[in-house]
Amino acid sequence: MKIAIGSDDKGFELKTELKGLIESLGHEVLDETPENDLNFVESAKRVAEAIRDNKADRGIVIDEYGVGSFMVANKYKGIICANVCNEHSAQMTRRHNKSTIVTIGSGIVGKTLAKKICKVFINQKYDGGRHQIRVDMLNKMC
Amino acid sequence: MKISIGCDHIVTDVKDYLVNYLREKGHEVIDNGTYDKKRTHYPIFGKKTAEMVVGGKADLGIVLCGTGVGITISAAKVKGVRAALVEDVATARYAREQLNANVLGIGGQVVGIGLIEKIVDAFLETDYKQSAENDRIIAEIDSIMDGKDQLYDEHFFDEFIEKWNNGGYPTE
Repeated sequence: MKIAIGSDDKGFELKTELKGLIESLGHEVLDETPENDLNFVESAKRVAEAIRDNKADRGIVIDEYGVGSFMVANKYKGIICANVCNEHSAQMTRRHNKSTIVTIGSGIVGKTLAKKICKVFINQKYDGGRHQIRVDMLNKMC
Repeated sequence: MKISIGCDHIVTDVKDYLVNYLREKGHEVIDNGTYDKKRTHYPIFGKKTAEMVVGGKADLGIVLCGTGVGITISAAKVKGVRAALVEDVATARYAREQLNANVLGIGGQVVGIGLIEKIVDAFLETDYKQSAENDRIIAEIDSIMDGKDQLYDEHFFDEFIEKWNNGGYPTE
């Protein structure tokens, strides 16, 4: 799978850690933010646009709290993005919401948990079924 | 304060609890539903709750579903909404103070009721800290999508609900 990743200045260190993990899982990493001085609007936009333009299968965006990047990415039509702080939500948002991007707050979620979240998010498949009506509704919005 | 609140059928009890909690604190609450546990679809209630806020009928919004993710995304996709999906007090405070978040999203099945109360308190009690930098960031977020034509359209999801009612979606 191809994973687009990006971070602002405060998420840069965690992004570097997660890149290593994703590569070790056998996926290709598309680093959308090689710079270490961006704000979260710019980093979230870059990852959201990479997913929108089908340049990657999944996206991961890191800023200090995760919520800023969540606001930005969800303003894109067709993007379903979850701010995730636990493995259960990482799994359920793939199973039920068919989300393609997660945001993680580097000031809120520790490295060990952040890695678990990424692994679950990348590996988990969408359930389909009745959940599709809600996904169709979300995708009509923006 | 005037608070607009909404949920899906998974966490109706948590929403009902919060409606009472907020009223007891002296807030006026607009309860957008859902009102029972009958299966429904979270974007209907996320959109409705958020529109009360951007339309000026409420000061702030609160949305809940199982993980909080689905309904908060549907609120976040409403023009003028800055929705924060939160599991801790520090993030709730940051979202209000720096991003002037106007809708709070919580996972009723992932956060306990004690912490939910604290998160709601922090969100309602924290004021936006205005600065040129924060104003600029907020303007940038608000400018990404248009979507004005989708506001207050009660029939926006009708095509999907009709398809659902006609058996066009699986029930499992």
